[in-house]
Amino acid sequence: MAAANGSSDLSSEMEVDAFRRLFPLRYHEQHLLKSVRPDARKLGSARDTTLALGAVASADGSALAKIGSTTMLAAIKLEVMTPTVECPDEGSIAIEFHMPPICSPLVRPGRPAEAASVISKQLSDTILNSGMIDLKELCLVGGKAAWMAYLDIYCLDADGALFDAALLSAVAAFSHLNIPVVSLNEDGRIVLVSEDKVGLKLEKEPVNTEKRKLKLNSPPFSLTCILHKNYILADPTAEEESIMETVVAVVLDSSYQLVSLYKPGGPVLAHTSVIQDCVALARRRVKELQNVLNEAISDMEVD
Amino acid sequence: MAGKTGSMPATYSPSPATRKKKRISIANGADWVRPDNRSFYQCRPAYLRTSAVSTAAGSAYAEFGNTKVIVSVFGPRESKKAMMYSDTGRLNCNVSYTTFSTSARGQGSDNKELSSMLHKALEGAIVLESFPKTTVDVFALVLESGGSDLPVIISCASLALADAGILLYDLVASVSVSCLGKNLVIDPVSEEESYQDGSLMITCMPSRNEVTQLTVTGEWSTPKIHEAMELCLGACSKLGEVMRSCLKDVVTDSKE
Repeated sequence: MAAANGSSDLSSEMEVDAFRRLFPLRYHEQHLLKSVRPDARKLGSARDTTLALGAVASADGSALAKIGSTTMLAAIKLEVMTPTVECPDEGSIAIEFHMPPICSPLVRPGRPAEAASVISKQLSDTILNSGMIDLKELCLVGGKAAWMAYLDIYCLDADGALFDAALLSAVAAFSHLNIPVVSLNEDGRIVLVSEDKVGLKLEKEPVNTEKRKLKLNSPPFSLTCILHKNYILADPTAEEESIMETVVAVVLDSSYQLVSLYKPGGPVLAHTSVIQDCVALARRRVKELQNVLNEAISDMEVD
Repeated sequence: MAGKTGSMPATYSPSPATRKKKRISIANGADWVRPDNRSFYQCRPAYLRTSAVSTAAGSAYAEFGNTKVIVSVFGPRESKKAMMYSDTGRLNCNVSYTTFSTSARGQGSDNKELSSMLHKALEGAIVLESFPKTTVDVFALVLESGGSDLPVIISCASLALADAGILLYDLVASVSVSCLGKNLVIDPVSEEESYQDGSLMITCMPSRNEVTQLTVTGEWSTPKIHEAMELCLGACSKLGEVMRSCLKDVVTDSKE
């Protein structure tokens, strides 16, 4: 490859930006040699993470999560369903991840992004299997009525590590969820008890006066890492993800137990030691994310 | 996801949506107050910010009361293969809603009507000759719908276009007015829109004093239309100034 050989002579004269676009891999590898990344991060550290609860007034629970530039808006709407015959005292959760065309130049209207359905499935599996939410808590009237929680997560800005940000926003939205007070009317339908009537004497008793918040059992957090040669890069940006393809996503719960580990192929084959390193990085990250979540919750209580 | 909904149980919202929104008697109108306690000719507090999406060429976020919108602009970039050759640039607009944007959970699909309205409101303000053969994509996502959605989308989109450095003749500002009985209310919220008699929306380029879009629906008398247009144009020029200062702030901030 003449072009690749010639590039070493070129690179000294070329502007940094042009070099970055023409030889992205070489650009990144030169950084990696010095154990630093183009955005001045260390290899194992994640970007700044912020969380705001209650971003959407029209939803029952919502959260906005930002990891670097990657932005996720998650919102939960509660509706009433008839429980299935197999689990008469359990509610249900439906999770969907959306990548609207505003989030990235690669997504066009009318053509849903491939990544969206993959992440959607991953999120459902993680949240439902982690046991974070006891579906029995979503029950209203045994065998008759239960909550169906529709969780929709919108990616507003896609700059890498989408799954991490989506999971964080989902967990935060559940922690912000306020279950409305409802009662059973004559037709056997569940209706909302309006806020100003809660204190008054009602002809119909509310069915859920005490269960206003969901209890979250050891919520899961995740860290996505990129493997490239012998390097492990935590929390990659979209640029890094497009250049180096091997991804490992580690999900741990709050007591650092492994919930899931996802390595969808890729050109780099990971040794067990590398996987262990990823898990160690994820452990550190879970601590950070727990603090971010707790801070967001306490900020909410002050308001 | 059509396949997925088939396996899901049917659900309903516990809020009594079937109840008819009661129309307040506003015939005399003197002691009637708006749902958010604004005066009739007062707009909602607005928050505007550019560069909301890092991966877009330009973007803006607008918040008018509970109406929250993000607009991203991509391009100018290659037109779709199927497109015919064109000497001037093309504008492509798309508006969609989130599933949680309205009080009843929606499908979150593309809104074709608003997309085409947005396209028509903007195309007159863009110097299409400045990007021949290519396309500029303007995508809007309504995060929360709180009334007067289209005017907010249009204003936000023009801010995003300016942020992307697309040549414009002027910024585009848009304001709507609802007619409720004898009264005119500016920048209506969803509740007011649900029982309005008529609605008028003006989209204009404030510093050139040119109107790119004017829609009038419902029951209007000629003097009322005149009054409403004056109201809208006045509000548009104020909104235009707010948008201009939002763009200037970004420049001065980056210089510091």
